[in-house]
Formats: sequence, structure tokens, C-alpha cells
Amino acid sequence: MTLAENLFENLRLELRRGCLTLAVLAQLRQEHYGYTLRKALAGRGLDIDESTLYPLLRRLETQGLLTSEWREEDKRNKRFYRLSSDGVQMFGQLLEEWHAINASINAAINSTNATTNSTTNSNL
Amino acid sequence: MELLDRYLQAVKKHLPWQRQDDIIAELRANLESQLEDRESETGRPLTTAEVEAWLKQMGSPMQVASRYQPQQYLIGPAVFPTYWFVLRTALFWVAVVYLIGVAVQFGVRSPSLSWVLGAVLRVPVVFMTTAAWVTLIFAAIELIVTHYPAKWPEVACHFSDWSPRSLPPLEKQVPPGKKPRSYAHAVAEVVFGLFFLIWLLLIPQHPYLLLGPGAPYIHLWGPSVSAFELAPVWVQFYWWVVALNVVQWGWRCLDLVRGSWQQPHIVRQLTMKVFGLIPLGLLLSVQDRIYVTLRNPAQDEGQYGASVASINYWSYRVLLLVCAIAILQLLWEIAQASLDAYRKRAVVMR
Repeated sequence: MTLAENLFENLRLELRRGCLTLAVLAQLRQEHYGYTLRKALAGRGLDIDESTLYPLLRRLETQGLLTSEWREEDKRNKRFYRLSSDGVQMFGQLLEEWHAINASINAAINSTNATTNSTTNSNL
Repeated sequence: MELLDRYLQAVKKHLPWQRQDDIIAELRANLESQLEDRESETGRPLTTAEVEAWLKQMGSPMQVASRYQPQQYLIGPAVFPTYWFVLRTALFWVAVVYLIGVAVQFGVRSPSLSWVLGAVLRVPVVFMTTAAWVTLIFAAIELIVTHYPAKWPEVACHFSDWSPRSLPPLEKQVPPGKKPRSYAHAVAEVVFGLFFLIWLLLIPQHPYLLLGPGAPYIHLWGPSVSAFELAPVWVQFYWWVVALNVVQWGWRCLDLVRGSWQQPHIVRQLTMKVFGLIPLGLLLSVQDRIYVTLRNPAQDEGQYGASVASINYWSYRVLLLVCAIAILQLLWEIAQASLDAYRKRAVVMR
């Protein structure tokens, strides 16, 4: 891996880190156990390592944002997670924040593009 | 699947014991479901090589288990900058104290090669011990700040609370063409200033450090074998020089600790130069301009009287010249500083 690739990978991971929690909370409005949650997120284009996702579920549960229960499915005991009432509230707040950040970034990108285009046109 | 069982067993060993069974049961259920999916995709059981590749992709057992632990720091980001500053300062002062100790012992006894080697080899041990103690203290502070902020609020506050009023004043602007002094330069000045002081202080006991083989011929602090001796005014001169060097060294240390080593204050520099004229003035104002005398005047007056008079005459002339040069240099620097101050004031007024 070159230095630039390594830098990109680090920045990409940093960018994804905060979004993963939001994606997990969004997906857990519906009940899932670890593996099906991972598959559901991957199906939406968000691949998460097992070693990242499973501990994250535990952490969110400790923080009171998720509830879980052991249940048998397909002759195997599995731990199912879903959003708790606190989790629903937190998800709403985080979603609002995410929309605001998204809108700001889009505005910044669009204004930069507009400035670049007008500079290019005036140079032509 | 034996390999999966071995993997989970290895992960379990690194998990917190209160939750390890629960975590392993959940991890097993997830991994087995994943394995089943993979097998149904390929339509056959996975080979050992494929399972190995899959587990390798998951990460080492220790790595996987560590993700289930809360994020832990020996010294966290809030405390780290202070820790780093204290560590560097402590290592610097330990080095200074150690060097003084070694230099004093070096001066007092005549050390062997093995003693010198021992002193050099002890340096890493001294540094590591200091670093270990500082780290230990800051690890304890981190523990207090993160786990017991309510019990020791003053400790917790110290690392989160600060006032813009406590910021150091703006450093003096560097005139164009003049580079600010680097930290290494400032440290070197302190270290070599210390060596110079030690050398200066060792002179009364070991005059050969100043006069070399000529030491026994000039009587001031010890017995002399020659007919001449230095006048007592040189003792006063010596202590003035020591005092000025101590003050200057202390100021440099203060600059280093306060982080203002880049541009020492001009008024302070000029003050030091004014005080530097005092020992010269002392020598020039000595009664009858006597700097060297005869040890036994009654006995040696006839043989060395003219030589002593000549030495005293030329010593006075040379001292006068040195003093005149020092005064002119001082006046020049005062004029330059005044001009700089006037220009800055004019810029502000504009």
C-alpha cells in the first residue's frame, strides 16, 4: 500500500466510524441478530467487519440504546437486538445532525463548484 | 468445525471474565450462521484452507477480543500534552543535575576510566527511571480524571479548565534577517553555561584549571613559588564574575521553563551588560592601581620592583582600554534598541 493509499484508508475509516453507528441504529428499528444485521447493511452497500459490528452492538446496548434477547431460531440460540426507547430518541437526534452536516457539506461543495466554474468561464 | 472452536477458545481467553461466556455464545451463533451461508453458496463444506482464510480475515483472537473492551488509555488525550511537557522538562533537569553531580565528583577526585564509563552507562538508567516515575504519576492522574472526577474535582478541572488570561504574552517580533534562537540553542546555552560555572567555581581549589602550569607561580588562593602575588582585588573581581554568571544562567533557565527562549528581553540583556561593567570598574578603581605585588617586598624590591611597577602600569592601561570598548559597545546597543523601539512606536501610531 502506498503512502497516499494508506492515508486515504485512514481518512475513509475515520469518515465511516461515525456513520456506522447511525447506520446500525437505522437498521435496528427492525429486529436483527448480528449476522443478519451485517447482511442487511452489506445489502445496502455498507460492509462492516464482524470484529467491528459485534462489539459495537454490545457497546450500544451498554449505553442503553439497544435492547437484546436470546431466542432460538433455526435450532440455534441467537441474540436479537432492536432499538430501545432511548435509542429511538437518540437516533432521531443523530439523524437530524447528520442531515445538517450533509446539507452543509453539499452547500460547501456546490459553492466551491460554482466559484470554480465562474473562474474557468471568465478565464475562457 | 474444530478450527472455529479453537478460534473461539482463543478469543475467550482475552475477554473480560464476567462476560466471556455470553460474548462467545453470541459470536459462535453469528459465525456459525455465516459459515452455513458460505457452505450453502458453494454447495459443499468449506475446506480447511478456506476456513483458515476466513478466520484470518476476522483478525487475530487478541485483536477481536480487544474490540469488546472499553477504550482504555494509560494517559489519555486530555492529560497527554501536560505529561509530555513535564516529561521533557523532568528529563532535562535530571540530565542537568546528573551532569553537575558527575562534574563535581570529577573535579574532587581523580577518576579512573572505569568510573567515567560507569557514569556514562548510568545515563540511560537515570533517564528511564525518571520517565517511569513521571509516567506512573500521570497514569494515576489519568485514573483520577477519568474514573473519579467528582472525588478530586481540582485535579479533573486542572486539565479541562483554563483561562485565556493565563496565556503567555506575545513574544517579541523577530527583526527581518534575524533568526529566532532555536530550543536546541537555548538548551545548549544552559548546559554549557552550567559547565562554565562549574569550571569557574572549581578554580579556587584547582587554580591550574585557569592558569595551567603557571598556577604555582601566582599566589592568590594557594601557596606560590614565585616572587609575585595577585592583589586581593582579584578575589572580589572573581566573585563578581561568579555572581553575574549565576544570574545570567538563572535567567536562561527561566526563559527555557517559561518558553520564552526565542527572543530574550533586550532590557534584560542591556542590564546584564551594565552589571558586567562593575567588575571592570572595581579593578580600575583599585587604590594605587596595584594588581600584582611582591610576596616579600623587603627582600625582592631591588630585583623585581621595576617589573611589578611595569606590570601594574600596563595592566591599568589594558583594563582602561577594555572598559572603554565595553562602554562604547553598550552605548551602541542602547542606541540601536532605542531606535528599534522608536520605529515600532511610529508604526503603531501610524
